[in-house]
Amino acid sequence: MLKKSPKYLQIALFAHLTLIINSAVADEANWRIVNYWSEWCAPCRIEIPMFNGLFNDLKASNVSIVGINFDEDPRDITLDIAEELGVEFPTLTIEEVEELALRPPDVMPTTYLLSPTNEVVAKLIGMQSREDILNQLAALGITVQIN
Amino acid sequence: MQKLISNFKAGFLLGILFSSVFCSAVIAASANSISVSLELLASPAPANSSLSRLVSDGAGQMYLSWVNQDNELAQLVYSKLMDTGWSNPIVISEGADWFINWADFPMLSVSNGNMAAHWLRMSADGTYDYDIEARFYDENNRRWSEKRVIHTDGVSAEHGFVSMLPISEQGATNTLITWLDGRNTKAGEEYGEMTLRAGIFDSLGETLSEWEIDHRVCDCCQTSAAMTAKGPLVVYRDRSSNEIRDISTVRYSSGEWTKPRTIHDDKWQINGCPVNGPAVSARDDQVAVAWFTAKEDTPTVQLALSSDSGDSFSEPIVVASPETNGRVGTAILNAGAVAVSWIDITEAHAKIMLSLFSPQGSLLHTSVVAKTSASRRSGFPIIESVGDSLFVTWTDVGETPQVKVARLEFELN
Repeated sequence: MLKKSPKYLQIALFAHLTLIINSAVADEANWRIVNYWSEWCAPCRIEIPMFNGLFNDLKASNVSIVGINFDEDPRDITLDIAEELGVEFPTLTIEEVEELALRPPDVMPTTYLLSPTNEVVAKLIGMQSREDILNQLAALGITVQIN
Repeated sequence: MQKLISNFKAGFLLGILFSSVFCSAVIAASANSISVSLELLASPAPANSSLSRLVSDGAGQMYLSWVNQDNELAQLVYSKLMDTGWSNPIVISEGADWFINWADFPMLSVSNGNMAAHWLRMSADGTYDYDIEARFYDENNRRWSEKRVIHTDGVSAEHGFVSMLPISEQGATNTLITWLDGRNTKAGEEYGEMTLRAGIFDSLGETLSEWEIDHRVCDCCQTSAAMTAKGPLVVYRDRSSNEIRDISTVRYSSGEWTKPRTIHDDKWQINGCPVNGPAVSARDDQVAVAWFTAKEDTPTVQLALSSDSGDSFSEPIVVASPETNGRVGTAILNAGAVAVSWIDITEAHAKIMLSLFSPQGSLLHTSVVAKTSASRRSGFPIIESVGDSLFVTWTDVGETPQVKVARLEFELN
């Protein structure tokens, strides 16, 4: 079940709020949130709308969100499933996934946070809330600008 | 036919004998020789086959089932191992609206000539909803039943992760089927709880009994069932109110189910799906359960043994950790040795591994069965024993997937 924090609902309502926790990494580009999803995974289906919202809210920041179809279906099938699931953030190709060389998760859903050099800086196991993601970014000192 | 034979010496502890309640221990150790032969059998499954399972009929006959795919059309097929090789494949059912999934796939059960087989068919009403359909072969009539949905809820939801087991009652050979049933997931506005249900079906496919045996279980892990001296034992990944997802057992006896009991308090707490169910095998009172857990993000394959039909279990034996992604199987040989299969991901190519344990849990040997892929497309290897022979099936994911089968013979000198 999604945990909705009043604090972050306020964030969504008040646009352009910037959280700056630690400026040491503030200028680094292209941090990535990588969300493994699957069509049969109920908690994945529950958290996808949260990631959609966060994807749109983080567009002006240096943090992007991408998805991976855990089932490694052919590209056309993956895109069909992504559409059915309502995934609005980009879904990586199998080749792009192989380049990342992530260990496939033992639990679905799992979300990785990757540094600009594709180093895994956080592994979030199980269903996440918007608050969980933002707290993790803050804990890592990653600046996010929320539209 | 490719034949690989390896002979080697394996030193192992035969037993640890505690000579008194004050725990002064006497350790008896001996070097023993184990001969293992691994034979890759000619597969009866063509290209574009996958999702294979092995099942023995309890009388020494081995059956292989798998799914053929040709674009949208899927076929569930089986073949029987004869002295001359696999019999001609027989199609049990086919459809263009099946739910084909690497972790949740058809099963065949065979006993006294009767058979039962299931597959998953998409429901009309929901994108992620599917039903369990089955056909039953009655040896007396020598024909298959019409296909039928085995659950009677009529709810468009997820139903799957089936286990089947022949069960003799009042002289009849029936089939016990357990499954994950998502009828309650659609009961409210929010996604509800997955249940574990079971039913007994006669040789014509009629429902004789049906139960809900756990009202809240992990959503997407396989179930497994085996016949013990005290009745059918079902193992599954449970789900507590605070999201502990450890392995539980229930046993059916005299028309009733025992209450769920946790095999071991791994305390793996996750708000998600491991897609890695347990495997159970049994031989009279001897029971072996293998499972995957990853508390504190440490992937581990464990084995627990029982000598009282699952009333109690040993402390877990670590089979592999941490370079494994689980996908376990288990089987018991006639000699009482326990086989556990699992996937090793130490190297770039994953490997299907097989570890053999003594009835007391001492490691006797570990074999590499085959190279495989850690990807989901390679599915779950399945092992099954006949006597002291062990059969393994898996999907080879080359350019076109194809089902493979191997036979291992163990000689414990």
